[in-house]
Amino acid sequence: MMEKILRGRVLPYATAIILLGLMMLPVYWTTVTAFKADEETYVFPPVYFPRNPTIEPFRLLFEDYPFSLYLRNSIVVTLTTTLIVTAIGVLAGYGLSQFKFKWSDTLLWILIFTRIIPPLSLLLPFYLLVSWLGLVDTLTSMILANIYLTYPFAVLIMKSFFDNFPRALIDAAVVDGCSRTGALLKIVIPVSATAIASSAIITYLWSWNEFIYAFVFTSTPSAQPVTVGCFDAIGDIFVNWNQMCAGSLMGALPGIIFVFIAQRYLVRGLAAGALKF
Amino acid sequence: MRFSGRWYGFLLNLPGLVIVLLWVLFPAFLLVYTSLLRYDNVRPIVFAGLGNYIALFQHRLFWFSLQKVAIFCVSTTALTLFGGMALALSMARITKGAWFFRSLLILPWAVPAVISGIIWKWMFSPDFGVISDLLMKVGLIDTPLSIYGNFDMAMVGIIVADSWTRVPFMGIILLAALLSVSPVLYEAAMVDGAGALHRFAFITLPLIKGPAMVGLLITTMFSFRTIDIIMPLTAGGPGRATYVFGYYIWDQIVKTLNFGMAAAGGMVLFFMTSLIAAIFVYLSRREA
Repeated sequence: MMEKILRGRVLPYATAIILLGLMMLPVYWTTVTAFKADEETYVFPPVYFPRNPTIEPFRLLFEDYPFSLYLRNSIVVTLTTTLIVTAIGVLAGYGLSQFKFKWSDTLLWILIFTRIIPPLSLLLPFYLLVSWLGLVDTLTSMILANIYLTYPFAVLIMKSFFDNFPRALIDAAVVDGCSRTGALLKIVIPVSATAIASSAIITYLWSWNEFIYAFVFTSTPSAQPVTVGCFDAIGDIFVNWNQMCAGSLMGALPGIIFVFIAQRYLVRGLAAGALKF
Repeated sequence: MRFSGRWYGFLLNLPGLVIVLLWVLFPAFLLVYTSLLRYDNVRPIVFAGLGNYIALFQHRLFWFSLQKVAIFCVSTTALTLFGGMALALSMARITKGAWFFRSLLILPWAVPAVISGIIWKWMFSPDFGVISDLLMKVGLIDTPLSIYGNFDMAMVGIIVADSWTRVPFMGIILLAALLSVSPVLYEAAMVDGAGALHRFAFITLPLIKGPAMVGLLITTMFSFRTIDIIMPLTAGGPGRATYVFGYYIWDQIVKTLNFGMAAAGGMVLFFMTSLIAAIFVYLSRREA
């Protein structure tokens, strides 16, 4: 009997459910608190299943804090970064993988090296640069920082995917009178759509989740993203925890959505990029 | 006009090269340069040679923060490896609903680190904390914990919170490695009478060593420099109980405004990260 359980499917499922259940506790707790009224938030022992779920914390979040501005800033910064990084990254990855040039190996090493430089080390020089350019407290400053933080990884992902792309397909298209750029647009990009999606999603999430650069570069809600907004709000003397959980939930929303609708792309991208870290 | 293949590849990389030169290499140069200046936002900026580095190495707090980050980084990596391995092993044999299980596994990775910090602060709240309540229900403690207010416990608190965000990456890498091990190997070993422990030690472990090293390297490197999650949780406190090296640099940038020292600290952080990377690369080359 015991052997049957061990060999069978019961044990893996049971352990996975217990372990993942423990891991999901913070997610569950944030979600539940975000829908609680104050009476059920500030009690001990805590309420595990709210009797009167309410969207009041979300309403107050937008009323008491400039949360719609934070959201707008995050969306603008993240979308712009993702578009620029993905466009430039596709070109660079295509070149590095299919059309090797004199310094392509050097460039590849520089990109890997860039990944090793801790962002915290470059925070100060980057800040000096941003203040010389007069870009303090602007969305542009964060877009520039996020491009630096995400570009090298995006190129490495693209390159590793394009390396598996059959060169013969490109050559055949060129023989048929297609330009190499035409081959990129008409053949390589459509066929590699999933690879490009992987890179774009990871770029999007990293930009959205970025915090320390945004915290140093911005000072007013006109430029602050969601991560900075949430952090500022818990610095208050009295923290509205149910509203903060509502804010956290919205801050984590892009991540939650992408994890469930595009999990396969995320995993592929992370694995491809990680092996070259 | 038609370029040769080499020129074409270079042209494709030109926009990216501009980014790398302006946004990475120029700031990197600026970092080195600033680290050699007396730049404290009080006195005029002058060249100081290695003055900042000497001051750094004589600063007691610098060594203290290195001790703290060593404890934090090693414990986080160990806990992450343990958690990631346990999850990967149990999920490797799941077929039905694997998609859903994997989504749950990656979820904490996708949450912004600073928001994970806020969430854990709420869970560990001394007044309304769910963790205190659960531990009391199990009977491990009698009174609610104030983990981030307690000098000895605060470090444990940030290690748990940070590991939570890092287990997904480790788990995914190990899971991918486990799934690529051929089941035939296990069947052959079972026919030969190898027990579960033997199979793990002599088949699984050697085959997943490479990916595990990558996971360990990235976890070590990233937890060594993290401050996002510590800022909302403890801000380096109470006292200086969780004052990791990253926080030392952070304070030089935003509190004491000693930019020269901050740059020197940034250089040290860079060298230490490179050292970690070099050690792992050396270890995995030697194994291979």
